[in-house]
Amino acid sequence: MAEHPPITSQPVTRREVLARSGLGLGWLGAASLLADEARATTEAGGGVPSTLAPRPPQFPARARAVIHIFANGGPSHLDTFDRKVALERYAGKEIPNSLKTERRTGAALPSPFAFQRYGESGLEVSELFPSVARHADRLCVVRSMHADVPNHEPSLMLMNCGDARLVRPAAGAWVTYGLGTENQNLPGFVAMCPGGYPIKGTENWRSAFLPGAFQGTYVDTKKRRVDELVQYVSHPVLDRDTQRRQFELTTSLDRRHLAARARDPGLEARLSSMELAWRMQAEAGEAVDVSRESKHVRERYGDDIQGRQMLIARRLVERGVRYVQVWHGEGQPWDSHDHIEKNHRRLAKESDRAIGALLDDLVGLGLLESTLVLWGGEFGRTPTVELPNDAGVKVASGRDHNHHGFTVWLAGGGVKGGTVHGATDEFGFKAVENRMHVHDLQATMLHLLGLDHERLTYRHSGRDFRLTDVHGHVVSDLIA
Amino acid sequence: MCIARQSGLAIALVALGAGSAAAAGPDPSAFFETRVRPLLVAKCQGCHGAKIAEAGLRLDSRPALLAGGQTGPVAIAGDVAHSRMIAAVRRTGEIDMPPDEPLAPDEVVVLEQWVAAGLPWTGPGSGTGDDPQPAAGPPDMQARLRQAMASHWSLQAPGRPAPPPVPEAFLPELQADWSRSATDRFLAREIAAAGLVPSPEAAPRELVRRLYFDLTGLPPPAAEADAFCRDPSDETYAALVETLLASREHAEHWARKWLDLARYADTMGYAFDGQASGYPFAWTYRDWVVRALYEDLPYDRFVTLQLAADLVEPPVPPADLAALGFLTVGRTFLGNPHDIIDDRIDLVTRGLLGLTAACARCHDHKYEPVTMADYYALHGIFASCSIPEELPVIGDPPAGPEAEAFAHKMQSLEERLQAHERAVHQRATREAIAHAADYLMETARPLPRPDGRPPRLADGYEIEQLLVDRLVRTVDGAKADHPILGPWAAVRRLPDGEFALVVAQLLAGWEAAGAPGVSGAVRDALLSARPTNPRELADAYARVIQRSHAAEGKPEDTAELLEIRAAFTTPGAPLVVEPHEAMRVARREEQTEHRKRRRDITAHQATAPGGPPRAMVLHDQGPRDSRIFLRGSPDRPGDVVRRRLPELLGGAEVDRQASGRLELAQAIVAPANPLAARVLVDWVWRHHFGSGLIATPGDLGLRGEPPSHPELLDDLARRLVEEGAWSLRWLHREIVTSRAWRQSAAIRPELAAADPDNRLLARANRRRLDWEAWRDSLCAAAGALDLAAGGGPGIDPLAAERMHVRSLYARLDRQDVPGLLRTFDIANPDTAVHVRTRTTVPQQGLAALNAPLVVEAARRLAARATTEAGGGGDAAFVERLWRAALSRPPTTEEQELALTWLAAEAARTPAASPAPGQASDSSPTDKPRQPTPAKEAFGLRERLTQAVLATAEFEFVD
Repeated sequence: MAEHPPITSQPVTRREVLARSGLGLGWLGAASLLADEARATTEAGGGVPSTLAPRPPQFPARARAVIHIFANGGPSHLDTFDRKVALERYAGKEIPNSLKTERRTGAALPSPFAFQRYGESGLEVSELFPSVARHADRLCVVRSMHADVPNHEPSLMLMNCGDARLVRPAAGAWVTYGLGTENQNLPGFVAMCPGGYPIKGTENWRSAFLPGAFQGTYVDTKKRRVDELVQYVSHPVLDRDTQRRQFELTTSLDRRHLAARARDPGLEARLSSMELAWRMQAEAGEAVDVSRESKHVRERYGDDIQGRQMLIARRLVERGVRYVQVWHGEGQPWDSHDHIEKNHRRLAKESDRAIGALLDDLVGLGLLESTLVLWGGEFGRTPTVELPNDAGVKVASGRDHNHHGFTVWLAGGGVKGGTVHGATDEFGFKAVENRMHVHDLQATMLHLLGLDHERLTYRHSGRDFRLTDVHGHVVSDLIA
Repeated sequence: MCIARQSGLAIALVALGAGSAAAAGPDPSAFFETRVRPLLVAKCQGCHGAKIAEAGLRLDSRPALLAGGQTGPVAIAGDVAHSRMIAAVRRTGEIDMPPDEPLAPDEVVVLEQWVAAGLPWTGPGSGTGDDPQPAAGPPDMQARLRQAMASHWSLQAPGRPAPPPVPEAFLPELQADWSRSATDRFLAREIAAAGLVPSPEAAPRELVRRLYFDLTGLPPPAAEADAFCRDPSDETYAALVETLLASREHAEHWARKWLDLARYADTMGYAFDGQASGYPFAWTYRDWVVRALYEDLPYDRFVTLQLAADLVEPPVPPADLAALGFLTVGRTFLGNPHDIIDDRIDLVTRGLLGLTAACARCHDHKYEPVTMADYYALHGIFASCSIPEELPVIGDPPAGPEAEAFAHKMQSLEERLQAHERAVHQRATREAIAHAADYLMETARPLPRPDGRPPRLADGYEIEQLLVDRLVRTVDGAKADHPILGPWAAVRRLPDGEFALVVAQLLAGWEAAGAPGVSGAVRDALLSARPTNPRELADAYARVIQRSHAAEGKPEDTAELLEIRAAFTTPGAPLVVEPHEAMRVARREEQTEHRKRRRDITAHQATAPGGPPRAMVLHDQGPRDSRIFLRGSPDRPGDVVRRRLPELLGGAEVDRQASGRLELAQAIVAPANPLAARVLVDWVWRHHFGSGLIATPGDLGLRGEPPSHPELLDDLARRLVEEGAWSLRWLHREIVTSRAWRQSAAIRPELAAADPDNRLLARANRRRLDWEAWRDSLCAAAGALDLAAGGGPGIDPLAAERMHVRSLYARLDRQDVPGLLRTFDIANPDTAVHVRTRTTVPQQGLAALNAPLVVEAARRLAARATTEAGGGGDAAFVERLWRAALSRPPTTEEQELALTWLAAEAARTPAASPAPGQASDSSPTDKPRQPTPAKEAFGLRERLTQAVLATAEFEFVD
């Protein structure tokens, strides 16, 4: 940890600064916040050291931000980015290497979608993602992902928190812990999910034993009004100026209270989080307000839920938010156990255009270089058809969960574009070539962010924890 | 096994000659020792060895390798293609091994060569008899268990450590104070050992506030705080502790903590579209917990009732059946029985015993002495229980319009059910009359039908045995002179030829001499039919029966026909299906409809408000043992395991005739089990001090951390049972009267340096209020809280009109917990939570600044303080505000600050200024009555009030 002194479990930096300043806690309210609120709220950082203050990476980073587009429920790799002609030959027939998944499956189910080659790389992408495919030469498609079990809950936990079962912090929490965040007026880690929570809810973006400041902030992007998007973002009665003077009074009272109780990290954290809350009121509202974009831009993304939230993702990254998760929707929308043709077509139609526009803009704004985009689910789906069952599948027309092999793609942030890494077997059931476990993906992503997954640790309950626990390898083949 | 071993060895010996030359070189021993054994040790035996044998497989001896694991053999000597071990390391089979990091290609080749060579194994593990330990067989969990039982701290009976003397390094006064309680003396020794001294007692004002929040979750009324501060003696303190411990508010506060552990919620979780997901009576469990704590039910009884209230002797009053909600208020996982059982096993083992048994669902526990057999023995216990369709009523329905609506709907649903039953029995009667001849013919059979089953007739009608039996009894009982049945009874069984003769004679007699004593209708029918066989006679009877039935209430009715009806078709007669018999003769679709209407009734009882409260019980049903599910998969059933206690609790088998819940409960709280008391002591301690004696609550196993103060934990655990008789109140008293608990929370520099995490407890921990206490404080400060309110169906905790009800009584939908509650770290209702996580995030700040709940509290508190201040002006208002919000008067400095602020604000907004003579805008109390612009409805005093409610002091307890 010697290379990375700012990472500690206590906000000592803050205390040290306070001690050095000789101003005590009063400095916080008066100097930086209240006397000149306008400056404090618009200048990134605001000059207040905190647990979220930006920190240098452990070594030069390729990416400074992450957008994780989570196709929750488990999108089928076989119908999107991993074409398998063998399934056509075996249509309706048993395949030789059927593996165990959550439920019983039967014969091979060929993809109902047409594939086409794109770009100079000739990357094969199905008709579901034409807009994403325009960026084929920027995508690094990992076709050899694998996870541990074919169930949503543990797989979500593994993908987000690096452990299927135990209470561990989310990757976004680890990254903001490691790097802080660039805009102190916004949360460092934002999780957007329209209409409610995905399966496992807020556990997907929890901070667990890391300080609460690193927990993902949830935004329900089904909502349209700014005050609905960010809960309690404005006072129901008071205007901002009036409320500012009220807030000043609270701060003055707190200052007196804290003066007699110095060194209490809990109280200090509370004070800084109040400051952050105050500044969030202004900036968070502005950041999520897509009406500030031109009509033309909004139309490029699509004036719908996915379009709006992908646009918000761009606005957040533009403003220095470190880690943004964009979930497709509440529950597990991509979980097409049946009628996969209809359901996957609908889900892709909802999101393709918005993702394409997001990539367009990141390229156009020069942000893609430093923004690592990840698209994928918690696992993929079986090449075999799910048989009718008690769980609601009446017609054999979909695919079961498949953790043995699935696909994610990355773009920007230092990954090698126009490449395919690894492969599944002939039928797409299992990753066989250059297999890449979720731990490896996480290790590689941290690496791109300038963090060594083995050295980004946090001491808790008597031992050093890390995102990848005792696993994970950086896969250098992915890195440009 | 023995034969297999020998043959495997034989193959190996044969193969050694052939394969080894090519693959392993001339010296199989060297190949094994230099290439294979290191690989097995480094990559395999960590999980497949003597300590841990994943999937029952050990790879530390040749016999064990050949025997394989739970899923069968993994290697066949000489057969690379069919050795699953090779498929696993090649990662082409069903499982990949090693699970994380694949073997290097050359390592895979080594194993391939080894298998091809016939698995040559030399030296230890070769199975040739020179092994130091038995090489084959299942993992030696017994050894692990024995060792744990003999030496692991949490499994030893609590010792009787003598409380050490108070360190001499302490000043005399401190020595005196800290010598009185054993708890303090144990803590003092460790504090002194670190070269530290304890902190002084918290200031009375801090202490009384802490005590109130700790014991009741509510702030002290300012007057109570004042009273204590006037006389903060030990006696006053002790008396206050007793008062608070005996209060309902105390029971409510700690009930909520217990509900965290019981993963309480009012819904079953995710439900398919259109299905109700609510638990309408979960609250009966919540209210039971409050009552149990209020009555200080001893913990052993408390636990026993929650696991087996329906099984204890003597039986408990119905109200106590609500305790079983402990088991039943969990998530239902879309009805997956194994996940429901798993949830209950985790609840009981981790929640009550501090054991992480859930791992053993898929494999023997890697670290703990808990086997799959232990898990599935518990599985059987819970698989032998089910939730009855109709939950037992445990009280009277509430009064009021809801109850009336409930009763009204109930009545109409019951009528619908009765109407259906009526339709069925009428249909059955109608059809029976139409088939009267067939029924009569059934009475002509000399013997019962050989298969005992009523026949289906050509028209599809099925004879109802119920009616046949009745008619047979009637006919058999009729004498020959019976006016109606006499002729039939006399001749029904005659053979056709004789029948014709006899009947002809009879009819001739009637024609000659009349038919005295015979029903005229029967006589006329027979004379006109002149039957020659029983069937013709039965048909003639049937026509009379049907004519009489049809004639009822019509002009053609006669006394004769009435007589026929009375014999066959009026209620009570043989061909009539009685209402209560409807379901015995119902057709399949009628039965389905009947079930549906019954379900409507139970659903109404269960879901509609206004009904009588019911207990969320489960009861024993068809006790059965479970099979082990290999790797946790119900598709791969293994051996049956008898229902029994976990080995750690003695492993005794339970009553074959019952589920075993009662024995499980009794074993958990048995004096011989040291886990329950330790888990409980840590749990209570943790909530009082803000940190536990065990760093890993819910895990007292081999992998858990040892306690920070083992002797203190033992002392409290033992005395809780021996002195306190499992009284939680005893334990609370023991803790809050200790000097340690009463210390100041100030962080002295030397403590920050030497013990930053405060493991030694040389000071108190300053803590943020949890969600419930924060909201309750807002409601209390607002003057809204009604301490008598609460109980019954849950409320919306964010609704302004529910501010009189404590947060405990919120309805909690586990699928949709409001964001504000999550922001304030409420417990995840899907798992037993010993301790909530505590985060500090800006969303909490946003809530304090902007949440409607806070704004409403500010409005009401401003009104309250204004009223209480009377004509005292702003100074009196500020005084009242501080006292209501923070249980103390403002300091002079604060008073000045507030008044200056009010004045400045008033000057800034002259338009909002009140009538002349007042320093601030007009009293809010007269405002709500007239419509005012929103801004004015939140005037200066309201704004000042909210500023105080948003302070750190309001939200933290020193």
